[in-house]
Amino acid sequence: MSISEYNGSALVAMVGKNCFAIASDRRLGVQLQTIATDFQRIYKIHDRLLVGLAGLATDAQTLYQRLVFRHKLYQLREERDMKPETFASLVSALLYEKRFGPYFCQPVIAGLSDEDKPFICTMDSIGAKELAKDFVVAGTASESLYGACEAMFKPDMEPEELFETVSQALLASVDRDCLSGWGGHVYIVTPTEIKERILKGRMD
Amino acid sequence: MKLDTSGFESTAPLFGASSELRDGFSNAPSFDLPVTADFDEFQKEAKATLKHAKGTTTLAFIFKEGVMVAADSRASMGGYISSQSVKKIIEINPYMLGTMAGGAADCQFWHRNLGIKCRLHELANKRRISVTGASKLLANILYSYRGMGLSVGTMIAGWDETGPGLYYVDSEGGRLKGTRFSVGSGSPYAYGVLDSGYQFDMSVDEAAELARRAIYHATFRDAASGGVASVYYVGPNGWKKLSGDDVGELHYKYYPVMPSTVEQEMVEVAGQ
Amino acid sequence: MGDSQYSFSLTTFSPSGKLVQIEHALTAVGSGQTSLGIKAANGVVIATEKKLPSILVDETSVQKIQTLTPNIGVVYSGMGPDFRVLVRKSRKQAEQYYRLYKEPIPVTQLVRETAAVMQEFTQSGGVRPFGVSLLVAGYDDKGPQLYQVDPSGSYFSWKASAMGKNVSNAKTFLEKRYTEDMELDDAVHTAILTLKEGFEGQISGKNIEIGIIDADKKFRVLTPAEIDDYLAEVE
Repeated sequence: MSISEYNGSALVAMVGKNCFAIASDRRLGVQLQTIATDFQRIYKIHDRLLVGLAGLATDAQTLYQRLVFRHKLYQLREERDMKPETFASLVSALLYEKRFGPYFCQPVIAGLSDEDKPFICTMDSIGAKELAKDFVVAGTASESLYGACEAMFKPDMEPEELFETVSQALLASVDRDCLSGWGGHVYIVTPTEIKERILKGRMD
Repeated sequence: MKLDTSGFESTAPLFGASSELRDGFSNAPSFDLPVTADFDEFQKEAKATLKHAKGTTTLAFIFKEGVMVAADSRASMGGYISSQSVKKIIEINPYMLGTMAGGAADCQFWHRNLGIKCRLHELANKRRISVTGASKLLANILYSYRGMGLSVGTMIAGWDETGPGLYYVDSEGGRLKGTRFSVGSGSPYAYGVLDSGYQFDMSVDEAAELARRAIYHATFRDAASGGVASVYYVGPNGWKKLSGDDVGELHYKYYPVMPSTVEQEMVEVAGQ
Repeated sequence: MGDSQYSFSLTTFSPSGKLVQIEHALTAVGSGQTSLGIKAANGVVIATEKKLPSILVDETSVQKIQTLTPNIGVVYSGMGPDFRVLVRKSRKQAEQYYRLYKEPIPVTQLVRETAAVMQEFTQSGGVRPFGVSLLVAGYDDKGPQLYQVDPSGSYFSWKASAMGKNVSNAKTFLEKRYTEDMELDDAVHTAILTLKEGFEGQISGKNIEIGIIDADKKFRVLTPAEIDDYLAEVE
């Protein structure tokens, strides 16, 4: 079994009208064994920028700490928060630094620009950026997530409808994946607030 | 060598009682052997390619009133869930059940094959085959294919003239008599519940609940088990399906109060 | 020479609390050719004298104003060779920033990095401070910006500033002429007039340099012909 499937994960980000959603499952496993069902793999960088790290949990946590470190330094130096695009470039650069011994993580970056324009992007474990206008997915349930999002996505959704869509897509997808599921975490980010919701799901 | 279809023929040995006996006793391999120069290497490869995830939880135990048999219903291919509604408890005849772990095709085929042989035994001897005998038929067949890649981990549970019977049989040729078994990737979790909750003096309801709970807990911890927890009971009058609960709902039945929001913060990491 | 016994090491303070090597570097700047910069409402202009040691030098081969990034330019007073070292380091810094963030380096960041290099050269062994002061002109998300960086590594943001031989005269002139709502064209005129004040000989497009940047965020050095056009307007 691949090392990036060691813990299991499902991650999805979707764009709405002046808002975005990012969601993940809650499982932390060791191969087939479920260790925790309240695991968090989506992290806040600042009030309008979130990052989800799919893949190996230990690498995800280490990478997150490095990202926070770099962002804090940036904040002190430049007296501002990073733009989502800028942050994505930073993540990409940090990942490529480890080209020959990568972090086994697939990041999903989602943020709102200063003009409230949503930005989502994902990359592979060595930092190849992939920008998308509609949705991005990652993790062991990524195939099913592609299918679900492809079928359910509509452009310019309002926050409430976006929440419904992203939640349904996530729950439907993890039902076809052994290694992810056990509930979900959904974040809806609007220009004014971050709303966090926990989803009940199948616990098998 | 050809496929042994003797079991399917209605004109099976009508009188040769001795050949019938031998048929069940020492079953020679009846599938074509592969054309290969290096048979040892073939066996290795066959085992490697067919040793797919035994993503399953099945259990069976004997108690005061008979035998309780239970299983989940998930079928997986690697990480992918290919079905959530597999019948892993196979009804061999009205008094005997088999459970399915390992290769689905191998289990299904050889259980059907066993069903035929049991019926033929019944016709020939005017009495139902014992659980001991049936499990031995299966074990002997599996033993004759040993090393060729069959993947079967099964329990034969039933009620015969001697009362409740339970055997564990696998494709490595093993055959064990016992009162409590669990097979599959979820079995360690099921054993945990089963062993701590088991008492011989249970009522049918108590036994069914224990079996259901064991399966539920296995589906919770084991990623390769899930779907529906089916519970069968075999008593003096044959088997009966007692329940089939979606574990998705079962979880919230067992734990109705959801702890609010994030229970456990990763302080040192999330400490912004 | 009261100071001289404390000038053997540039990292040693004199009893009066000074690092004399830095003072000497400032002296080198003070005797350099005059440069100045003005921040206008919609852009920035930097300008400098370009006096050459001999009329035989091909003046087109000398470029005192340099581009650091497409939206940041720089001019100096003091020692030309030292300036080129700083330009090379600054350009590298700007490029590294861009490679990391895929976003042009903000003016403040580049100025800070450059100033850090200059400070480091006041505290390291085997080196001497830079004999230059810089005027950095840029335009980014925060609008037009003008910075002066000194050999000590200190830097300030200015509305208008001057350095070199004619500092005090030039600054007095700028203080009189400067207004907050000045347009870039006016600023160029003021820059020329300020240079003209202390200029020995006839000013022309060939013996001064002017660099401008406006809201299009493209720094460029004016051609002698363009400077001549401005000169015509001023007269």
